[in-house]
Amino acid sequence: MLSRVADSLYWMARYIERAEHTARVLAVKLESMVEQTPEDANASWARVIEALTGDTKPAPHDAFATTRRLAFDRENDGALITSLALARDNARQVREALSNEVWEYLNRLYLRLSPVTMDSIWVHSPARLFREALEEMHALEGVTYSTLSHGEGWYFLELGRHIERVQLMGRLLDVHFRAAQDGTTGPKYFDWLVLLKFCSAWEPYTKRYTASIRPQKIAEFLLFDTEFPHSICFSVDRVTEALARVAPGAPPARRAAVERLAGRLKAAVDFGQVDDLMSGGVAGFLADITRQCEKIHETLYASYITYGAETVL
Amino acid sequence: MQQEAFANTEDFGGPDIVAVSGNNARPGIDPPYARYELGKPYDEMFAPDGRPRLPYAALDARLSTLSLEELNRRQQACEQSFLHQGITFTVYSDNQATERIIPTDLLPRIVTAKEWDRIERGLTQRILALNLFLRDIYSDGRVLKDGVVPRTMIYGSKHYRREMRGLPVPHGAYVNICGSDLVRNEAGDFVVLEDNLRVPSGVSYMLANRDVVRRAFPAVFRTMGVRPIEHYPLELLATLRSLAPFHEDVSIAILTPGVFNSAYFEHAFLARQMGVELVEGRDLLVNDNVVYTRTTSGLKRIDVIYRRIDDDFVDPLIFREDSSLGVPGLFNAYRAGNVMIANALGTGVADDKAVYAYVPRLIRYYLAEEPILENVETFLCREEKSLKHVLANLDKLVVKAVGESGGYGMLVGPHASQAEREDFARKLKADPDNYIAQPTIQLSTAPTFVGGGVEARHVDLRPFILHGSETKIVPGALTRVALKRGSLVVNSSQGGGSKDTWVLNQ
Repeated sequence: MLSRVADSLYWMARYIERAEHTARVLAVKLESMVEQTPEDANASWARVIEALTGDTKPAPHDAFATTRRLAFDRENDGALITSLALARDNARQVREALSNEVWEYLNRLYLRLSPVTMDSIWVHSPARLFREALEEMHALEGVTYSTLSHGEGWYFLELGRHIERVQLMGRLLDVHFRAAQDGTTGPKYFDWLVLLKFCSAWEPYTKRYTASIRPQKIAEFLLFDTEFPHSICFSVDRVTEALARVAPGAPPARRAAVERLAGRLKAAVDFGQVDDLMSGGVAGFLADITRQCEKIHETLYASYITYGAETVL
Repeated sequence: MQQEAFANTEDFGGPDIVAVSGNNARPGIDPPYARYELGKPYDEMFAPDGRPRLPYAALDARLSTLSLEELNRRQQACEQSFLHQGITFTVYSDNQATERIIPTDLLPRIVTAKEWDRIERGLTQRILALNLFLRDIYSDGRVLKDGVVPRTMIYGSKHYRREMRGLPVPHGAYVNICGSDLVRNEAGDFVVLEDNLRVPSGVSYMLANRDVVRRAFPAVFRTMGVRPIEHYPLELLATLRSLAPFHEDVSIAILTPGVFNSAYFEHAFLARQMGVELVEGRDLLVNDNVVYTRTTSGLKRIDVIYRRIDDDFVDPLIFREDSSLGVPGLFNAYRAGNVMIANALGTGVADDKAVYAYVPRLIRYYLAEEPILENVETFLCREEKSLKHVLANLDKLVVKAVGESGGYGMLVGPHASQAEREDFARKLKADPDNYIAQPTIQLSTAPTFVGGGVEARHVDLRPFILHGSETKIVPGALTRVALKRGSLVVNSSQGGGSKDTWVLNQ
């Protein structure tokens, strides 16, 4: 596979993952907002904003302006519409590596959301648009799974999706568990419930732990569950698996550099213990995992994508 | 994915469409043809007496049973399909990038088997002669020594590539992919307006149009016996393969300028349809005169390149050094015979306006045959007799500078002022070699759906010729249509659209 094509597929998947994450968080946030006091809603917005943009601006947060910024502001690099536009730009550059269906689903979704304005969605049910966008992204994921060959290109998509997911989940968990340590404005029962919903984890969680909602169990589930698709552990498994499948013909030394890092990351997650983390180590653990993912990204690029031609001739 | 709702179910399983004679709507009088004007130009659908020509009878019968709303719905379904597939070009204004589709007309343009046979034989003859001509001028120059074509015209052309002299190309085929523009004159005969021998585009529209228009008129399509064109990518692949010196595991790539090029959709489309790599200049590198692509597993050798970038940009070491689209060292790899490039470099010398005028003579010279397809009558001002005629008839002719394109350096006699004509007459006398003149050409008209009904619009015809170890022409073409009433400009940048072209079995 052309290195440039691998690069575009990888980023296409990262941007789609980012768009999906933003859509899901916004849908849940807008739906749950009505059940909160203004103070709680404000604290919750602050966490959402920090998780999605890194900004730590203090309250108050206007729901309309915040939603506009996170969803439709093209000046905002992380906005839903920006992520979709970038995903589509990348897909357009590798149309020959995608199925018609994958391109058309993505293109239609973008064309549908592109002209949407805040005023048009705010009067009725603002969450509905994001729910519908989510449905279409799930459909996109479905056609990707069922119309593309699960070869190297597909594994580059997997890499992009799950490396991005680890970062996004990491930030979301980080803001919640750090806030829990602060005490006063920390997340309440309802906020933990919403966190599970941000990760579409509420039902899977209750199946595993019953409806008794406890931060320690939530951490255990979202960090270490091997079966739930939005847990850190699940994504790390997918990353290790995909790394073993890409660039099959690359020289062994190059492959070893990447696989060594993957092994280390997997070990960190496999042998992590939630008991060790709850005394304040969640943030540190997440920071370590994120750093390792960044290192994998760099090595992946150096080994397979941006390598100098002189090194292989 | 929701499929665009195209046709009524009876279109698929229903009976064949039977044309009923004597009961048809008349152009210029009855809907949907109330605004259909029959003028001096040849009309593809209606005979001068207003009756539909036989090949169009089934389409006419179908149109008479469909409401305007239904036609509108089908037209919109076509447009939606193009938008979703991303068959668009981007228009930039006020920092806003808007994506537009090149409009596809709902109604097919029909070419009979007999007409196609002549087109096919004529284009085959033409590409043979043009390739022999290119081989000649890049080797001995026999045609120049014999005085058939003036030496200065060739060696003075900015498209003549000295680097190509004495370099053999596989099968002597310089032009492997050609798109020739034909028009139908007032007498109803197809004539050649232009040969595109460099990087002709539009073939993806031929295929995409077929895909949507067949769905819009399934029963008419089935009834009429339309020849298939879907094998074009396969024929293109075979043509490219035939250029390689070996036959197993030929590694082929399409070289595109990238996603911002207006024909990018076509490059990606052909790569996907053929199952070959789509590469940009930055994906390729040359080492020891061998061309490689950079893949995740290492470097992979490339044997044949279908390049969709102009000569000037192919290799910054040989041609334009500011080109970032090309590949440094590519031309030397080509000279060394380690990579084949289609089309060969330097083919542009044979499709400029002056050489065009010589093509009938080239056919007689190389093949000892009479041209099957005529040129549009062309006066070469370098010939004294023609110059005299042109100067005397400036008010009736279109005068063009040979080196220019895109409407530059041109005089449209009937629309010019006396002062402009006098100014041009001076230029002609000063540098007659640089000019040719042609009568104003009346392109034929074809039925086109424009909102309120079916009207006559001017069309041309661009078939695509493939030439490697043998010559192949897929029975189809891109029909370009000037969507503005009365306009003769079919270019997509100036309000042109395209039509599906149905070549019939009979």
